[in-house]
Amino acid sequence: MKIVVCIKQVPATTADKRYEADLTLDRASVDTVINPLDEYAIEQALRLADAGKADQVVYLSMGPEQAAEALRRALAMGGDEAYLVTDAALSGADEWSTARVLASALDKLAPDVALMGMASDDARGSLVPGAVAAMRNVPLLSYGAELRLEDGVARIRRLNASGHDIIEAPMPLVASVTDQVGEPRYASLKGIMAAKRKPLETWGLSDIGLSADDLRPLTTVDSAEPPEAKPPTERVENVAPEEAATRIADWLAARKLI
Amino acid sequence: MTNDIFFLAEFVEGQPQRSALELAAGATRLAAQSGGQAVALAYGAGAAAGAAGLGAHGVDRVVVLGDENRPAITFAPAAAASVGDGLIFLAPATPNGRDIAAALVGKLNVPAFGPVNEINLDGTTLHAKQATLQGSVVTVSQPVDGAATPAVVLVLANTFTPAEGGSGSAEVSEAASVDDDPLARAKVVESHTEEQSAVNLEEATVIVAGGRGVGGPDGFETLGELARALGGAVGASRAAADAGWVPYQLQIGQTGKVVKPSLYLGCGISGAIQHRVGMQTAENVVAINKDPDAPIGEFADLFVVGDLFAIVPRLTDEIKRRKGA
Repeated sequence: MKIVVCIKQVPATTADKRYEADLTLDRASVDTVINPLDEYAIEQALRLADAGKADQVVYLSMGPEQAAEALRRALAMGGDEAYLVTDAALSGADEWSTARVLASALDKLAPDVALMGMASDDARGSLVPGAVAAMRNVPLLSYGAELRLEDGVARIRRLNASGHDIIEAPMPLVASVTDQVGEPRYASLKGIMAAKRKPLETWGLSDIGLSADDLRPLTTVDSAEPPEAKPPTERVENVAPEEAATRIADWLAARKLI
Repeated sequence: MTNDIFFLAEFVEGQPQRSALELAAGATRLAAQSGGQAVALAYGAGAAAGAAGLGAHGVDRVVVLGDENRPAITFAPAAAASVGDGLIFLAPATPNGRDIAAALVGKLNVPAFGPVNEINLDGTTLHAKQATLQGSVVTVSQPVDGAATPAVVLVLANTFTPAEGGSGSAEVSEAASVDDDPLARAKVVESHTEEQSAVNLEEATVIVAGGRGVGGPDGFETLGELARALGGAVGASRAAADAGWVPYQLQIGQTGKVVKPSLYLGCGISGAIQHRVGMQTAENVVAINKDPDAPIGEFADLFVVGDLFAIVPRLTDEIKRRKGA
């Protein structure tokens, strides 16, 4: 049983972001982390390995060369080996081209389960897992609060409107998990040392059977601007609860909200 | 390429979800601009029986993808086979909507946008406005020249306002059957109900949300009374859901619901970025917090520093009094 966890290196929440002239993010200049929601996918994969349900955990990332750091950090948490797909043509990749690259790399790695986080911190479409499943022609189990593997079948627990469903599909497949799978483990010092000796291979596009022509983004950004400045916050402080309640009610009434 | 505007219409127990009615309003508006038809792709329990009713919302045609209660992703093959060369495909930015939208992107190799809170058409060129990088940047994007269609657009709740009281009728058809597709192999093997009266937060226009500062289930009862007085629903931060004070269905934020109510009233919520991305497009944000330095004080419209346990019951009474007057 082989699990490939797809991870993305993203700017840290606190990082100062800068844009290039072509309105793509300058990813070289910012502090980066493993996309926090991908850490839950890593944790889920490692728990399955710990429980003997998976015998190989592999990481896959697409990004600039420094995304290798994110893969090393993942290897420090556990797992066996990692692959980075990097190519100058991938700068400014959109969700479709990202999915295309991951799908091609996954074709080569041939996992039973391709596991992903439910969303990325820096773009919130959450479309990559489903697009990869469709491109690879395999089932999708998405937004799992837990993933279980048994007898060639994968099952997730997924919230529904009033409770949860257990949804299953035959492997191979693509799955995405939420932050309810359990808190990601920290890398131990031993883990960090061990990670340095684990295989980390870098692939160019030709290694996964693609060329830059196959990956022309389908979307283009017209403008990128800071959000419209909101009016300053009105503050109510140091007043009795009755006064505070009246002030809120007045504020709501002035906006016809009550 | 036709200029038709397709949208996903999810049905639950025979009723179109509010997202379906909102997208009907959006698709109708965009179709009037593009010169095409507004076409619903209806799925879920009771979709076939309820399909014709979408005509009253200005929809020209309804294609029924399937009438059963099964995982949304399993309807994606039929959706992909039904959109032809339409101009735009609108999907709600919910887990179900995203699953189907994602499959279309992968199957049809079409551009994807969103989640957006504004869509404009310039002739037949789409301009999609969205907040990215945790809301630090607002971008407007469009398909590249020659990109395949339809452009897939995820739409945040409350981006469009449902039209009421129309009298139109829609032509209803069944989606052509699709050969066995791996995406259709996911199936629900167990279904568990934990909350008898769960509300769909994405549909609420007023939300009273509570966080760690609410202290426990009793505190959420107090918020519930305020929500009822305002005609709204109760939401929560991840901390409150993790603590088991409320079910995860009520969680707002990056890993919960993304909401866009006309009023969001946050009580005892610090306003961490993960919560903020779930509610930052609310039209009016009021926060009550005893910590004068809580981050929510930086972006709320009205920030009240004080004890929510003292203020909220009084506010509930005051609102009831004014509404009764």
